[in-house]
Amino acid sequence: MSFLEYTVKSTPNGLRKLLYVNWALVILLTAVASIGFLMLYSVAGGSMSPWVEPQMQRFGMGLVAMFVVAMVPIWFWRNMSGLAYGISILLLLYVEFFGAIGMGAQRWIDLGFMRLQPSELTKITLVMLLAAYYDWLDSRKMSRPLYVLIPLLIIAVPVMLTLRQPDLGTALLLLMGGGAVMFLAGVHWAYFAAVVAAGVGAVTAVFASRGTPWQLLQDYQYRRIDTFLDPSTDPLGAGYHITQSQIALGSGGFAGRGFMQGTQSRLNFLPEKHTDFIFTTLAEEFGFIGAASLLLLYLLILLFCVITALQTKDRFASLVTLGIAVAFFLYFALNMAMVMGLAPVVGVPLPLVSYGGSAMLVLMVAFGLVQSAHIHRPR
Amino acid sequence: MTLRTPLRPLTRILKAREHGENPDAIERENLRLRHEAIRDKMRQRAETRLLLLAMCFFAAFVTVGLRMSTLAASEPEEPRIATSGSAILNTRADIVDREGRVLATNLVTNSLYAHPHEIIDPVAAARGLAGIFPDLEEEALLRRFTSDSRFIWLRRYISPEQEQQVHELGEPGLLFGPREMRLYPNGSVAAHILGGAGFGQEAVNAAEVIGVAGVEAQFDEDLRDPARDGAPLELSIDLTVQSAVEQVLAGGMVIMNARGASAVLMDVHTGEIRAMASLPDFDPNARPQPLTEGDQADSPLFNRAVQGVYELGSVFKIFTVAQALNEGLVNPATMVDTTGPLRMSGFSISDFRSYGPSQSVSDVIVHSSNIGTARLAQMMGAERQQRFLEQLGFFQPTLVEMVESRSGRPLLPARWGELTTMTVSYGHGISTSPLHLAAAYASITNGGTLIRPTLLRQDGPQMGERVVSEAVSAQIRDMLRAVVTDGTASFGDVPGYAVGGKTGSADKPRPTGGYFEDRVLSTFASIFPADDPRYVLIVTLDEPEIVALGEARRTAGWTAVPVAAEVIRRVAPLLGIRPEIEPLDGFQLSSASD
Repeated sequence: MSFLEYTVKSTPNGLRKLLYVNWALVILLTAVASIGFLMLYSVAGGSMSPWVEPQMQRFGMGLVAMFVVAMVPIWFWRNMSGLAYGISILLLLYVEFFGAIGMGAQRWIDLGFMRLQPSELTKITLVMLLAAYYDWLDSRKMSRPLYVLIPLLIIAVPVMLTLRQPDLGTALLLLMGGGAVMFLAGVHWAYFAAVVAAGVGAVTAVFASRGTPWQLLQDYQYRRIDTFLDPSTDPLGAGYHITQSQIALGSGGFAGRGFMQGTQSRLNFLPEKHTDFIFTTLAEEFGFIGAASLLLLYLLILLFCVITALQTKDRFASLVTLGIAVAFFLYFALNMAMVMGLAPVVGVPLPLVSYGGSAMLVLMVAFGLVQSAHIHRPR
Repeated sequence: MTLRTPLRPLTRILKAREHGENPDAIERENLRLRHEAIRDKMRQRAETRLLLLAMCFFAAFVTVGLRMSTLAASEPEEPRIATSGSAILNTRADIVDREGRVLATNLVTNSLYAHPHEIIDPVAAARGLAGIFPDLEEEALLRRFTSDSRFIWLRRYISPEQEQQVHELGEPGLLFGPREMRLYPNGSVAAHILGGAGFGQEAVNAAEVIGVAGVEAQFDEDLRDPARDGAPLELSIDLTVQSAVEQVLAGGMVIMNARGASAVLMDVHTGEIRAMASLPDFDPNARPQPLTEGDQADSPLFNRAVQGVYELGSVFKIFTVAQALNEGLVNPATMVDTTGPLRMSGFSISDFRSYGPSQSVSDVIVHSSNIGTARLAQMMGAERQQRFLEQLGFFQPTLVEMVESRSGRPLLPARWGELTTMTVSYGHGISTSPLHLAAAYASITNGGTLIRPTLLRQDGPQMGERVVSEAVSAQIRDMLRAVVTDGTASFGDVPGYAVGGKTGSADKPRPTGGYFEDRVLSTFASIFPADDPRYVLIVTLDEPEIVALGEARRTAGWTAVPVAAEVIRRVAPLLGIRPEIEPLDGFQLSSASD
């Protein structure tokens, strides 16, 4: 019996739930997605195809999914979290063994109307399972080594599988998102201190192993790190992304060049201009004002999630909401940092704005969970 | 652990029993309170953690925001190619001619390589590349792209057009490396002088350019010396003259059906080579491979003017006469016995055509008498002849400023007896390069001071040691002029330029010993203007043969001389020589001061 289940009488039922949906959050999400549509329209050279139309369809689909998830009580999702995690791991394994038979590194499963990346799905199911775990666990046992080992294993399995794809960005996001849920649940300080120490050791090992036969990362990943540390070493090679995107940001200035006026993105200087590097188009065409506005919208979305988490007394609801907030934050913070040259290029999309089906749909489902927690909070 | 309130406090339970209440309610109530206390504690801890995380979020926001504003405030600056590998890029100096016209310069281009593991669509990439570079095979490329190799060189350098086409393939696994490449804008003009350049150490981002032949190899270190600060290397040659000489020589070689040809045009006072050509030639932008079989002398890379050593024949007679005049043994009018054939230890020397039992020294040159020259040599003997020829530089390589000159070592007779002295006097038994000949002709006709040939621009005349007196030098010039006006080189007359010279048609030696009867090396060694020479021109044709007046002609008078005359006709105006009316005997219109 969860805390909520015996106070359920105080939550709305039926269509009355629609009144209690966090509409401000819905509007914010739509606003961010609309910025994405505008940018994709501009990047395509003033055309709805090839990116805007599918992106709009996916967002519509995402909205429907969000409402469906929101209408279902949050405790149902808690009960489902183990199953959801299991399914996402199975999908990851499927991609690992059957995706490779296709051409090159295939990270998705073709569902016909969209390509589903199991690694995106895992970001949410991992947070759900960890939240459910800490909801179930007696808080006094929380910091015992055995009970710390279990969530670590839960995190490690998908991280290893995505690393093997290889998708360093997603693996990092999973690791950090899972870690954040453990941190928020209240696991003892000492474990995090140990992790930080181990992280420093791992970084050292990664660099020490470079050039040896057992090196831990791919050559191109080392090069990206090198270029991150000093982009000017190779402005036309691996440093190209970063240099060009910084030029774009610089040329945008305070007010930007104006909609559809960006030269860097429109003249094809920028690779990945419609996916990971779409932020540069925004910064170039709408300048600092546009970029800061997007940042503000993201901040408000985060704020709503945190408020929802603080209002609910249910441990699962609050942890899952915060976990989603952290994952969302990591998404856009890493992407922006990467584009601005504050982090290495690891291939993280800008949430809700970058072109891409899986990330969009999965995020909308995640916000459905947040809405569900919001609707089904006791009052 | 703090002391907790017990779940069943004894006093309260006893009191409750006294009042007839259920003591379990107290326990339940206490249990609830304790759970709430734990939950509140957890909640408090979670809030602290959340606050910490929020601070991290905030710090990240501030960082991103600050970075965004600094970037927005920054002036966009295009990256320069030179930032990578600049240590090697653009360090090789240009080579220019005497007027500063570029002969060799650098071009920044790109190399093309591939990272197969980063190639998204190997099939499309292979097809696209095969379309851009016709010599790459699609199947082979695809095999390499799908192999395990992590790095593949595709092209050392590509043109900007090709680079654009590769860009348009949009394949992230195909990469470019900036590099400097040597460019010879005039193509094959002065090919042998310049030589060529290739790549030394190669890396992805840069490649070292090193000289492999000619001036490029000779001055390799100087050209790469950063201390030069890009100052170009100034050569003595004149691009327009060089080009004209090559053009006329190429035409002459075809008309005369020759296998090869060479020409050297040199300033008689400074020793500067104004033009030097060897045919067949090549384009230094794409140097051909050295021959893997056969005679390297047949390769277009072979520089006949510098590396080639030949028995040059009658052009040598002038040295014998000059020495005899200089030593006071004869004067130009002295009669020499030319009855032939001249027999000497089982060997017979005869003339191409007899002009009577005795001729003047001057006529010996004009009619190119082997017998007369041999008699003069006999008068001086081997030792004095060797000393004179050595003084003129015939015993050593020319050491002109190109790497090939070291291999142009003259072939001298092993035993230098009386017979050898006589054959050497008319140019047989000693093999030298055309450049040797040019330097020696310059030395004896410029007033008599030794000239060393050079490819570098000079500021003034060379003041070499004296080899013959000024008077002898003047007599020599008169004789050379008479060869053209009255003798074997009558086709060499170019009106207005007073050409003088000496022909030489040497039977080529058989590899098995002896001489071919139908293969000659025909040479014309000329000076112009003869009364006050400024330039010496040597034209050599290898195995020329034309049919004229009903018979096959191979001698220089029919082959090398007309070609040389055409060269002079073309280059004399380029060299700034005004055509002049021939001075009458006894009159000196121009001042022969030196």
